[in-house]
Amino acid sequence: MSIMEKIQNIDRRWIYLLAWVAVLSPLLNPLGLPVTIGRDSTRYYNYITDVPDGSTIMVTFDYGISAMPELYPLTIATFHQLWSRDFKVVVIATWNQGPMVMDVVLGELNPAVRYGKVYGEDWIELGWVPQSETGMAALGTDIWGTKPVDYIENRQTSSFPIMQNIKTAEDIDLLISFETGTPGLPEWVRQWNVPYGTPIIMGCIGVMVPEVAPYLQTGQLGALIPGLTASAEYELLLKRPALAIAGVDAISMSHLLIIVLVIIGNIAYFMTRGKGGS
Amino acid sequence: MVDLFPIWITVFFTLAIYTFLYRENLWFRLATAIYLGLATGYSITVDLKYLRDQWSGMWTSSGLMMTLFAFAILVGLLWYFRFSKKYFYLYRWPLAIIVGTGIGMAMRTIIFAQFLTQIQGQVGLPLYVAGDALGSLNNILIAVMVPCVLLYFWFSGIGARREGVAMKTIDTIARYTMMAGFGSAFGYTVLTRYSLFIGRCQYLLGILPNPPEARMAFMVVAAVLLVTLFGWDLYKKTSS
Repeated sequence: MSIMEKIQNIDRRWIYLLAWVAVLSPLLNPLGLPVTIGRDSTRYYNYITDVPDGSTIMVTFDYGISAMPELYPLTIATFHQLWSRDFKVVVIATWNQGPMVMDVVLGELNPAVRYGKVYGEDWIELGWVPQSETGMAALGTDIWGTKPVDYIENRQTSSFPIMQNIKTAEDIDLLISFETGTPGLPEWVRQWNVPYGTPIIMGCIGVMVPEVAPYLQTGQLGALIPGLTASAEYELLLKRPALAIAGVDAISMSHLLIIVLVIIGNIAYFMTRGKGGS
Repeated sequence: MVDLFPIWITVFFTLAIYTFLYRENLWFRLATAIYLGLATGYSITVDLKYLRDQWSGMWTSSGLMMTLFAFAILVGLLWYFRFSKKYFYLYRWPLAIIVGTGIGMAMRTIIFAQFLTQIQGQVGLPLYVAGDALGSLNNILIAVMVPCVLLYFWFSGIGARREGVAMKTIDTIARYTMMAGFGSAFGYTVLTRYSLFIGRCQYLLGILPNPPEARMAFMVVAAVLLVTLFGWDLYKKTSS
């Protein structure tokens, strides 16, 4: 068996080992590779910056614990930008693990202490809205009825000062969605953007980008943060480098590894193709 | 000590799942079984909380509403006849309601959200964007490629014209377009998988804001798992 044939039949565990090395080494010894701020992250940052003070923004957790490594840095950075301004923030989740992620966000950001935000006046968490698209439609029609009790204090939603003028989707000035799949943007567009004209911006895991990019082109989606790299750029725009920036070197190295492996695999394939190789 | 316990548990389960990269083993099975049990328990808990929250809302405003709420619960319980051979047909009622409402909700706006607006977006693309050569090229490519891919999947009434030069050219452009799309999807998939992996590695290494104590747990747990895995393999090899 030639070396090229051996390459094609290499034990996959060596590839996994290389992946561990490619990721762990730059995390232990950061390379400090330059990060160029791109169009997507700038657009997302500017979109929130341009929202007038006093506006009501709904943030929806359309992801669970499993997607935290990619979406959590963006989530933290976005809440930092929101709570640094004078917005009214309503937090919900269409994935049932969303409130669990929000618990972690609260533990890290502590809005009362760090931003002086009062629960029930400046922001509120309504928790999980089940039944995906049907739940979104119901929420758009009647927020009080769909979520009669808040998530944190278990009090009547209608009793909070922040909710006095927030009853339907028409009272929401911007919807920010962090998501990994279904339910997600197509459902929000169908149930909130089309009937009520609610503007939507979002951050998503990389896998979703080809699916949601057409909505960006049509203007149904105002801005999109596609994956961890763009989250790192967003952190730079906020002048608050954190987990996403710390992971950029590892992303570069891991992608470099994949590119090298694809090239080697192709060379080996083409060199053995005519020789009856496996 | 109490604060360290969750950190060690987190590290253990992360690494136990990753042991699958070596081979299927007891640690991996243990971690997945516990995860599935916890996730199911969590889902049931939040479902029950949602029901309790609903009960404290408009559903207790009158006798009629309470009756409707009880009826909805009873219909929901019909799901469990999925596990009965004799009364299996009853499970179709809640299924029909879910499917019916879901499709109905989607259909009322899908024609605007995902059909007309997308066509308008395609038609309205400016082929020349002043001062943005790449933007212009991007729009020209979209204007050419989207119709080509649509024609590639158009089979009715084409017949022998499929073999003509025009359709063959269109098919070629469509194939390249789709290959580019699949390549893009693959690239983004790699990005996501590695992002998830990097996030876990950041935790394992205790990179702030993750707890720094995780790094010690990582080294100890990794050593224990590796020793048990390799040790078991060695034991099997020597005893056979």
